[in-house]
Amino acid sequence: MRAWVGPLAVAAVLALGGILAVAAITGPRAEPVAQTLAAELRCPDCQALSVAESRTAAANAIRAEISAQLAAGRTADEVRQHFVDRYGSWILLRPASPLAWLLPLLAIAASVGVLGLWLLRRRPAPVTEPAQVDDETRRRLAREAESLDG
Amino acid sequence: MRSGVRWLLLPVLLLPVGWLLFANIGVDPRTIPSRVVGKALPTFSLPTLDGTTLTDADLVGRPAVINFWASWCGPCVDEHPVLLDAAQRLGGEVQLVGVVYQDSPERAAAWLRRYGDGGWPDAVDDGSLAIDFGVTGPPETYFVDADGIIRDRVVGPVSTRAMAEGLAAIGVDAS
Repeated sequence: MRAWVGPLAVAAVLALGGILAVAAITGPRAEPVAQTLAAELRCPDCQALSVAESRTAAANAIRAEISAQLAAGRTADEVRQHFVDRYGSWILLRPASPLAWLLPLLAIAASVGVLGLWLLRRRPAPVTEPAQVDDETRRRLAREAESLDG
Repeated sequence: MRSGVRWLLLPVLLLPVGWLLFANIGVDPRTIPSRVVGKALPTFSLPTLDGTTLTDADLVGRPAVINFWASWCGPCVDEHPVLLDAAQRLGGEVQLVGVVYQDSPERAAAWLRRYGDGGWPDAVDDGSLAIDFGVTGPPETYFVDADGIIRDRVVGPVSTRAMAEGLAAIGVDAS
């Protein structure tokens, strides 16, 4: 009977651990909109970290502000603009204007276009025909060669 | 005709590059332009280290210098003599206000005892005022005119020269 106590205790601990893990995974989470906004905003006093990733006091304050603004009924765009109005577009981790994404692609396309055009229009070097030598010149040259040999 | 088109392409390609280069001459790449300069002082009501309350209304009517600082901030030690000197020289002409940024009141009070308390109010921020000013980290100093409009900002330790320029922006002659 006592032989069963050890394995039973281990099984009970493992089961409890599993239940706790499942509870942690499926438990209450930050609302998705607040989480998305926090991930889009740059932490002001960090190096290349979003507000969602950082645990500094500034990031905590911004997360609290996001939640407060959303609770007050503001839309995600309004909350985003609230921070842009204070910090500038620097606070956004991703550029707001689609032009910022398109510009490098346009530049590459233009460069390829210009290069292609240049390659297509590059003219091959003109092929020069060998000079025509008449019979008289040929004979004179032969005579001169013979005289040099002699 | 084709050659003309080719020569027209040249400025089309070069002008944007030239504009990017020349538009930013004189701009310090390490500082981010403030979005709050030119705007009105945000509304706030914060407790101070001496147990009173400081509101935005207290700052209207007299030019003000608002300095965000913390006891853990090294450059704040460097700039503190400049603030003390300004407070001593300008007296009641300008209101100096400290805002304790991401710090405990106890540590902030201990820091003032060590480096010198200028006697101006120090508000303890929960983070909301720093957001409203767009503060990226201490020390940061804002110059607010008598009408409550933010006129200048200094990121990093404020030097004697930066203090004079900031004060000039709010109509105070520091010379």
